[in-house]
Amino acid sequence: MAEEVHLGLPGPWAADYREKADHYTTKIGGVPDWPTVDMGIKPETLQCSLCGTKLCLVAQVHAPVAKLNIEERIIYVLVCSTPQCGPKPQSWKVLRVQKCRNVMQTEGGGDELGQSNGPPSTSVPEEQNDKNKIPEIDDDDFDLDALAEALEQAATLASNSKKKNKSKHANAPVKCPVLKEQACDPSIPVLPCFYIYYDKELFGGKGTVGSSSSELVLDKEIMDTANDEEEKWEGEKYEYDKAIGADRTFLKFKKRLDAYPQQCFRYSYGGKPLMATTKLQDPGTCRLCGSPRHYELQLMSPLSYFLHEAGDGSSNYAPSSWTWLTVIIYTCSKNCCLSSCGGNPQSCCWGVAEEEILIQEDEVR
Amino acid sequence: MAERGGERGGERGGFGRGGERGGFGRGFGRGGRGDRGGRRGGRRGPRQEEEKWVPVTKLGRLVKEGRINKIEEIYLHSLPVKEHQIVETLVPGLKDEVMKITPVQKQTRAGQRTRFKAFVVVGDGDGHVGLGVKCAKEVATAIRGAIILAKLSVVPVRRGYWGNKIGQPHTVPCKVTGKCGSVTVRMVPAPRGSGIVAARVPKKVLQFAGIEDVFTSSRGSTKTLGNFVKATFDCLMKTYGFLTPEFWTQTKFSMTPFQQFTDLLGKPTKGLVLEAPTETVEA
Repeated sequence: MAEEVHLGLPGPWAADYREKADHYTTKIGGVPDWPTVDMGIKPETLQCSLCGTKLCLVAQVHAPVAKLNIEERIIYVLVCSTPQCGPKPQSWKVLRVQKCRNVMQTEGGGDELGQSNGPPSTSVPEEQNDKNKIPEIDDDDFDLDALAEALEQAATLASNSKKKNKSKHANAPVKCPVLKEQACDPSIPVLPCFYIYYDKELFGGKGTVGSSSSELVLDKEIMDTANDEEEKWEGEKYEYDKAIGADRTFLKFKKRLDAYPQQCFRYSYGGKPLMATTKLQDPGTCRLCGSPRHYELQLMSPLSYFLHEAGDGSSNYAPSSWTWLTVIIYTCSKNCCLSSCGGNPQSCCWGVAEEEILIQEDEVR
Repeated sequence: MAERGGERGGERGGFGRGGERGGFGRGFGRGGRGDRGGRRGGRRGPRQEEEKWVPVTKLGRLVKEGRINKIEEIYLHSLPVKEHQIVETLVPGLKDEVMKITPVQKQTRAGQRTRFKAFVVVGDGDGHVGLGVKCAKEVATAIRGAIILAKLSVVPVRRGYWGNKIGQPHTVPCKVTGKCGSVTVRMVPAPRGSGIVAARVPKKVLQFAGIEDVFTSSRGSTKTLGNFVKATFDCLMKTYGFLTPEFWTQTKFSMTPFQQFTDLLGKPTKGLVLEAPTETVEA
């Protein structure tokens, strides 16, 4: 019954926060890597709806949907960088960028992908087709051997970054071996950047811990001695977890967080979000096609902790004023695409859609 | 994780072995049965964490950075503590002890389903005590969960004097009573040297709280020891809720740690500083 949940765990820091990667990379912070240079995004979309300052990228998640055969699909989470707008949910914006399905040929996804981009693509989403890791190969006839080789390369790179960053991620920025180009627009505010690698969440739920033999002996002893004590603790029944400061929902949230304390986001297409508080507003329907929205991913508090740690302590650094526990992102369940490309089959056409975001705050009172 | 549960069992067996029934490898000196003389079992302090604590809440972040040094600052503003690592960091001398593990059963079509309920009390013996209760399918899980819940529920305990105010406070400041289920527990200040006059089970909680002398009186079905322990804990929580003449002066309010440490407010104001009546020595 349990859906598979993929966790985004922190990988290496970027050598330069403004370095460019490709749109297949999953990363936190940095500059957004648009698939093509000219996306046709209106400038208002990239500005805060409250104060008008340019939004900065919090997370860029390469999220293909295997079931619907959409491989070129990225989710960008943007936020206003001024601390005053931080607590308000209108300062966040989520954009879903995907390639329209009526396009015949792929263009290779943009010019900046031409060079070998092995190192930055440390994202290994579970459900995707593996050929997404090699963007420069045309889809007409590709060599299966080269594919296998490239896969292996990417896998070893991913596992290397995993080994490097088991723990103490926030204190140990690791220099990336390949120097990358700078982004062209220096006026965009930028958050500290690090890359993400995926892992599947292994959560047994109830009773993951297997009994060792000593525990079995223990259990038996308890059952034996329960009958012959002077004091009998009578009348005990099952009791739900209770704490003075936290309710059951939060305790369950914290339990899953403690299993993977460094998880930056959770990804489960169409699954159930992990709630931190019981109140949740309705996500509503898609703005473009009217179909209902479903849960796709949620950002978790370790992310804001890592960004806060990486900041330089200046007073107008946005992540220091974030108090949210989790940010839940809902996307259109039909993955609709704005058909503004004029029907020309030769041109590559990317649709941009704004999605819904719900923030669960840490309530103190 | 399973082996740690086994380890813990081994540790306790080592302490409480003498005077136990049988004496053949009873690994778990359960609830201190047969152990008089106040064995303060339990592990000493936080064990080496395999993973560093990544704080989830804003309060956790402040504690991790070291902006909050004493747990009293959290109690002063009644901030909810949602992460047990906060308490571990701020109260370093916290010891824990499993009071009881009892099986609870539920009848199902396929027989009985047994789960284990663990009662754990934590305390530093100097004014902070917490009680945690957890049910789980396995003993080790229940104990681990109960320790976490106990740390989350650590409360301050107010101590006072019976008569002359010499030396450190040693007893409850006034008569207080706590209730849980049908059990009510009443604590009455006692002169120095009386010791804790209470049944074995609540005595443990009072020892962890750091109360040296007290008279207690209980009423109701104290056979339900779960309720008895919770009633004692409730009683201890109320010691700071009782308004005595020292608190008659006007409260001077201070900024909560969130306001204090947010950079948005710019310069910190100097004016408002609360001089709380310190509880160690009463005026």
